[in-house]
Amino acid sequence: MKIYTGTGDRGKTSLFSGERIGKDDIRIEAYGVVDELNAIIGAVIAAMPPGSSSPPVKSQLTRIQKDLFRVGALLATTVDSLSMGHLHLMQQDDGRWLEEQMDLLQSSIPELTSFILPGGHISSAWAHVARTVCRRAERRIVTLMDLNAQDDDAAKNLLTYINRLSDYLFILARYCNHLAGVDDQVWAN
Amino acid sequence: MDYEVTVIRQLWLTENVFEMRFRRPNGFRFIPGQKISLLKDSFSREYTLINAQESSDLSLCVRFVPEGHLTPLLAGAKAGDVFTMSSAAGFFTFQSRGRTAVFVATGTGIAPFLAFARAGIQGELLLHGATNERELLYRDEVEKAAANYIPCLTEPSSRLQDWSGRVTAYLESQMKVKEYDFYLCGNANMVRDAVKIIDSRFPGSRIFMETFY
Repeated sequence: MKIYTGTGDRGKTSLFSGERIGKDDIRIEAYGVVDELNAIIGAVIAAMPPGSSSPPVKSQLTRIQKDLFRVGALLATTVDSLSMGHLHLMQQDDGRWLEEQMDLLQSSIPELTSFILPGGHISSAWAHVARTVCRRAERRIVTLMDLNAQDDDAAKNLLTYINRLSDYLFILARYCNHLAGVDDQVWAN
Repeated sequence: MDYEVTVIRQLWLTENVFEMRFRRPNGFRFIPGQKISLLKDSFSREYTLINAQESSDLSLCVRFVPEGHLTPLLAGAKAGDVFTMSSAAGFFTFQSRGRTAVFVATGTGIAPFLAFARAGIQGELLLHGATNERELLYRDEVEKAAANYIPCLTEPSSRLQDWSGRVTAYLESQMKVKEYDFYLCGNANMVRDAVKIIDSRFPGSRIFMETFY
């Protein structure tokens, strides 16, 4: 399968539901940032220190990458279209699953008592980048949903998932430093 | 999920296009317009299923490429030979509600519209592009896929038809300007040119496309 079609050379692209829209549309920006986040999570996985099999962080991150594909497809589809029937909507359980994974990671790292500076081991640094990009994705998605007056359950579940994911990525960043034997650098005023 | 599918026979439609029929495995499901990957000896190609959903066969419309890897194997296959077929996938399915659906096909790109016709799905207009009358694959059946059927021939053998020229020329000059749902299936050049015309002439339209190379 070839990657190029030439149908997007004039600044427009097709949504999954068929509409043609400008590549600078907020919808494209929203799922573009989700794509960016997914790529950075790939960098986190590639940078993970050895010995990260328990808790199974890499498989957690792989599941998250697949979930972000779902999120991207949902954002690329107008809500009332028949195309939505092809997609797997975000569920409350998806957000709960992230909470469970956070609990697993958190149980193996020291309690946090002050602010920390992003950084440390390369995998932790990437996890912090992922966290901030995740927050940007959340901001774009909120703008998109506000514009479309979208507040159905599927939209709420999607937003919950993205909000939880930022929290997960913060815990992950600390877990990566812990795994690599690097202390989090505490912020001192 | 992959299925082992058994060859029933080939049915040649023109000098270089044939229909490949397989026995349908138990449990195989698809939506009209979906495609499969066919695998043999580590070569894989995608084809759209052309059957009615209740059919006991699975059939594909294949353009024979003598220098290709898979189509000579298909063309030379005997009844009982086994190929591997993926489960049906893809999103080139009928998704219109309350909008005028326009189907545009060239060559073997007629396949999903044949599946639509066999499923009783009907659009407003089908532009069927081909070189000449003989290349209008499945014409009798696909005419049912739309209320209006326009053969778009680049080298018609007679001049009896209302229209002669490419599908893109028809889009550019013959259609009333409004919002449509376009379904495009055919070679990459047609799809690219059609999208360009639709973007400029029919803003607000939706486009669903399936491209092959």
